Amino acid sequence: MQKFMIIGERIHCISPVIRKALEERDPEPILKRAKEQIAAGAAYLDVNIGPAEKDGEEIMQWVVQLIQSECDNIPLALDTANKKAIEAGIKVYNRSKGKPIINSADAGDRIDNINLAAANDAMCIALCAKEGIPRDNDERMMYCQQMLERAMEAGMDPEDLLFDPLFLVIKGMQEKQVEVLEAIKMMSEMGLKTTGGLSNVSNGAPKHLRPVLDAYTLAMAMMCGLTSAIANPCDPKLQEAVKTCDIILGNTLYADSYLEL
Amino acid sequence: MAYTKVAKKYSGKINEVTLGTGDKAITIGGRNVLPFHHFDGEIGHPPKVGIEITDIVPDDWNNALKNLYGDVMGDAAKWAKYVEDNYAPDFICLHFVGASPDGANKSVEECVEVAKQVAAAITTPLVVAGCKNDEKDGELFAAVAEALQGKNILILAAKEENYKTVGAAGALAYQQKVAAESSVDINLAKQLNILMNQLGVKAEDMVMHLGVAAAGYGFEYLSSTMDRVVLAALGQNDTTLQMPIITPVSFETWGVKEAVATEADEPEWGSAEERGIHMEVATAAACLVSGADAVIVRHPKSLQTVKSLIEGLLE
Repeated sequence: MQKFMIIGERIHCISPVIRKALEERDPEPILKRAKEQIAAGAAYLDVNIGPAEKDGEEIMQWVVQLIQSECDNIPLALDTANKKAIEAGIKVYNRSKGKPIINSADAGDRIDNINLAAANDAMCIALCAKEGIPRDNDERMMYCQQMLERAMEAGMDPEDLLFDPLFLVIKGMQEKQVEVLEAIKMMSEMGLKTTGGLSNVSNGAPKHLRPVLDAYTLAMAMMCGLTSAIANPCDPKLQEAVKTCDIILGNTLYADSYLEL
Repeated sequence: MAYTKVAKKYSGKINEVTLGTGDKAITIGGRNVLPFHHFDGEIGHPPKVGIEITDIVPDDWNNALKNLYGDVMGDAAKWAKYVEDNYAPDFICLHFVGASPDGANKSVEECVEVAKQVAAAITTPLVVAGCKNDEKDGELFAAVAEALQGKNILILAAKEENYKTVGAAGALAYQQKVAAESSVDINLAKQLNILMNQLGVKAEDMVMHLGVAAAGYGFEYLSSTMDRVVLAALGQNDTTLQMPIITPVSFETWGVKEAVATEADEPEWGSAEERGIHMEVATAAACLVSGADAVIVRHPKSLQTVKSLIEGLLE
């Protein structure tokens, strides 16, 4: 098995610092977060520029080139609802360290993003949802199947799809947690790659509990076969969980200093 | 249905490490496939074979080797030159058995003098092996690394007990190459590489000595360790395990019963010399297919045989 992959989530326009930096084209705060996440072991960085309806294409091109030129062409996940901005980002994207990931397609209005990925030889996160939260795993797996078929018809390699079961908040949707884990297991058994926005699970919980909820959820999800997550690589508890689960699952070879790598 | 060839692709690659200087310098590693799997990808540099000599006349060597070399064995520099001129190995391993406190207990200064004379006599890359006493080896390696600065030798080897001395002097202060030795312990192999790296030794200045066993004497442990290391290096792209592997086969094979028993004791086993050669050729061949990028043998016939095996497999 491959090592677990963290897609760093910290370049997100929901953060006031990042939103301001994107608006003002200020490289500093963006590069700082990019470098911190790479140093902490992120394999990919998610770049969320928000809906960016006005100047999305320009922003995406600027930020993709900025991060890649300063960070040894680290591969990126392009995260926006603006399709044109994604296309524009891919045009200037350097593939030497990995294909771009489109974040994301779903089984509803955004299913065309799969075709966008296919047309641009990109990877794509496939969110197993249509409108709101899937009712149960029958529905989740139906969406999964629909998107898989769409991708195959478009000539995509299933390896280039990362299926997202949609992690749900623990505080408030506690009864749904096991179902999400079971969905990951079913997808893994189909040989599919998986991912998800991990920090969803700890939304609304006290700050000191968030790393605990995230880390344990991740450990259980990795046992079910989860292959990557959009998460905060700078969270030491999460890093411990990922590295230790990778050891237990045999994805990396044990050495006494494994946590220091 | 037509046969479709499927190549096995790996995400990792074995580092390239160069030993020696000038025309005879050798490079090992560089492959991104299993040993000899040239049909899958880049085979890198063909494995290299070196010959072992010792700093003092070895008292436990097979008589056939003593007869073969005769008087040159009394002078390590002449011996090295003789080996270079007559057998042209890829490298020569100078094994300081005389440094052992339990044996001749030659001083570090005496050993350094021998190392200097040997290095001056040959242009073939030099590998320097110790006497199995961690403390003495630490001092010896540090002194030899300093004396032979610029020769780009390989120090065989740093262990958990002395890696700080050997790594700091060998690689950091005097820019030699250093092998990390981990007696058939896969987790220690990785750990020692990490520790050396944390000390500041660059991965490209390191090779691994994963331990050695003669065929039939726990060799399967060595072989499975090598397999696992190579698969982690290539398949999991584990950069802490991508150093090339050197295996001093002769250090073990000439000490096992099949090589040691005299013809008087075991008349039906045939020539003791041939048995010794068979043991090291069989072991060396097995090490090479398990992932060794360099092996050390003692008998010139073994060198010749293993070299022709490598050439044959890579044709």
